[in-house]
Amino acid sequence: MSMGIPEIENAKLLFIFGYNGADSHPIVARRIIKAKQKGAKLIVVDPRITESARIADMHLQLKGGSNMALVQAIGNVIINEGLADQKFIEDHTNGYEEYKEFVKKYTPEYAEPICHVPAEQIREAARAYAKAETSMILYGMGVCQFAQAVDVVKGLASLALLTGNFGGPNMGIGPVRGQNNVQGACDMGALPNCYSGYQSVTDDAVREKFEKAWGVKLSNKVGIPLTHVPHRVLEEKDEKKKIHAYYIFGEDPAQSDPDLNEIRETLDKLDFVIMQDIFMNKTGLHADVILPSTAWGEHDGIYSACDRGFARIRKAIEPKGDVKTDWEIISLISTAMGYPMHYNNTQEIWDEMRSLTPSFHGATYEKLEALGSIQWPCRDESMEDKGTPYLFTGGKFSHPDGRGKFFATEWRPPCEVESPEYPYSLSTVREVGHYSVRTMTGNCRALANLEDEPGWIQMSPEDCDKLNVKEGELIRVFSRRGSLMTRVLPTERVKPGATYMTYQWWVGACNELTTPYLDPVSNTPESKYCAINLEKINDQAWAEQCIKDSYESIRKNMGIDTAKKEV
Amino acid sequence: MNYFVKGNPDLCIGCRTCMIGCVVAHEGAKIFQMKPGEYVFNPKLDIVKTATITIPVQCKHCENPACMNACPVGAIEVIDNAVVVSQNKCIGCKTCMIACPYGAIDMVVSSDGSKQLDGNSRMVANKCDLCTGIEGGPACVRVCPTASLKLVTEEAVETSVSNKRMAAAISLTQVKE
Ligand code: SF4
Repeated sequence: MSMGIPEIENAKLLFIFGYNGADSHPIVARRIIKAKQKGAKLIVVDPRITESARIADMHLQLKGGSNMALVQAIGNVIINEGLADQKFIEDHTNGYEEYKEFVKKYTPEYAEPICHVPAEQIREAARAYAKAETSMILYGMGVCQFAQAVDVVKGLASLALLTGNFGGPNMGIGPVRGQNNVQGACDMGALPNCYSGYQSVTDDAVREKFEKAWGVKLSNKVGIPLTHVPHRVLEEKDEKKKIHAYYIFGEDPAQSDPDLNEIRETLDKLDFVIMQDIFMNKTGLHADVILPSTAWGEHDGIYSACDRGFARIRKAIEPKGDVKTDWEIISLISTAMGYPMHYNNTQEIWDEMRSLTPSFHGATYEKLEALGSIQWPCRDESMEDKGTPYLFTGGKFSHPDGRGKFFATEWRPPCEVESPEYPYSLSTVREVGHYSVRTMTGNCRALANLEDEPGWIQMSPEDCDKLNVKEGELIRVFSRRGSLMTRVLPTERVKPGATYMTYQWWVGACNELTTPYLDPVSNTPESKYCAINLEKINDQAWAEQCIKDSYESIRKNMGIDTAKKEV
Repeated sequence: MNYFVKGNPDLCIGCRTCMIGCVVAHEGAKIFQMKPGEYVFNPKLDIVKTATITIPVQCKHCENPACMNACPVGAIEVIDNAVVVSQNKCIGCKTCMIACPYGAIDMVVSSDGSKQLDGNSRMVANKCDLCTGIEGGPACVRVCPTASLKLVTEEAVETSVSNKRMAAAISLTQVKE
């Protein structure tokens, strides 16, 4: 995020794009409500009527998969109506002329049939965004989980460049990340192309610094993105390039990744799979070794929030039973593999991280203790450097010449669209209460009491009438890749033809249906769009029994005591 | 006057924390210690979502409660400004559930684990009791992350009415003949 989360409350206009705060981050949703109470205008772009859309001044209920067309149509209006901030563009950006030329064709009338949003509404939204004193963009997985994702992110950033909404407080652009501490994982270098603080693995100076600190030779090649693993296991002919072992922790690809059939095949084909997690999950069913680790209340450490803010987490209870913290397990494995690794506590790890990462260097434990949270970059250890609430102060950007770069490109439709055989679209979404896969929250009884297997498919009342299905009824959902049963949830909040499922359920696992197509840059899968069909089940009693049996059998395979729990 | 909890649809994000708060307040910590399947989970309010509204629906604690008037065994009484079902008197006849114009009453398995003569679990009427007897007042109000719920007391009603009258008086003076 270019800004800090608390700034959301003070923006004069919030432009919320493909982000459903109420379900993904209730705490951020609270800030959105506060902003509204303080008089901010709210524009929501989402194919569903989300909680934010419901209270918005304007809701652009676009068709899923049309983001790029809409973003560029907004850029087109801002330029054509003379609302662009010419001074900011001249002083701080590159590529404006090319951008202007490119978005010429993206008139609101051109976008209307693609986005299913009236041209006049696009104009109004563009005017409001450009005219507000400070406009802030918040986007979520509704932007990132498409095969055209990075383009849209750059397109949104271009809108902020166009209107000078960078470099000051209460403006900018904020990806509200998909998962707790995913920002932290990226910050700490859990990416195939960088070390901590986004230092590139292909930069010799950086590599030498790490080699010296750790006393080992390190590769100068970019690693393999997570979503390329199935291909590297199933299709790679060169034995040397093939992946043979997979060490998975805090992740459940057999639940969260697209096209689960392929994932299971991958896990079974691998010579060796280690799963390290707090409870049994679907991936664990394919693992050779399971390493039980501590949960969030049982260990110390540092998290980063999506606004680059580090905060300490502290152990609340002593772990019980045969478990270790993740860092202890990693140290032991590393030592056993011939690289002795030893730390006494998380502060030692953090201090090493800081010493090798200039942009985090000033964020000491002591300072975190005193300030509560610090947003990087924080370079200096002295108390004066309190971190950076918002980036690009005064319009100075991270490109070598300090200027922001405009970006435009053609809109591409999703990779798999509706067809006569598969006439509905399916998007995977979140529901409040159940976090990501169900490893944590599925084991929290109050949450499981509110919602449990097999989950729901959100459908428009029109589609429910057409298929003659009622709320709570079990329905068969299938795509080119798989099939499952789930419960019907009629809701006026979705448009006819579009359906939505949350992805955590073991029995109604919607990733059986999703496609493995990826964004070419981020390698994030297109979880927000695939084509499906729906079929009424006449024998409901039989279907209910199937659900019960399959839940029972999953639990049994996982070694969970099944006698005690009703479905 | 009876009190009641009022939700604000402009603030509610539909997170259902209030429902969990309600159950925990009434059942106590035991629901985290008992075996799954051995405790009951009976929220006394429900979140309703339409295209334009998200809001919890719960008992209004009417001044002349249809449920109380309809109950054949006198299991519903007014206690401390709240309309309360006394579950041990309830015979599970469902009359109150039908009588309630707000759909605020449902029938649930009694949380005390008691059995009927035929060995089945006892079914009783379940509705908001404004957390009568629970320290800190209604749990839903306390746990809501957006402060979308308010306990409306007699005092609050009086202030609100007098404020509205004040505003009305001012606006009336602006209407010139
Ligand atoms: S806790 Fe508050 S915001 Fe959440 S559902 Fe209940 S009333 Fe709505």
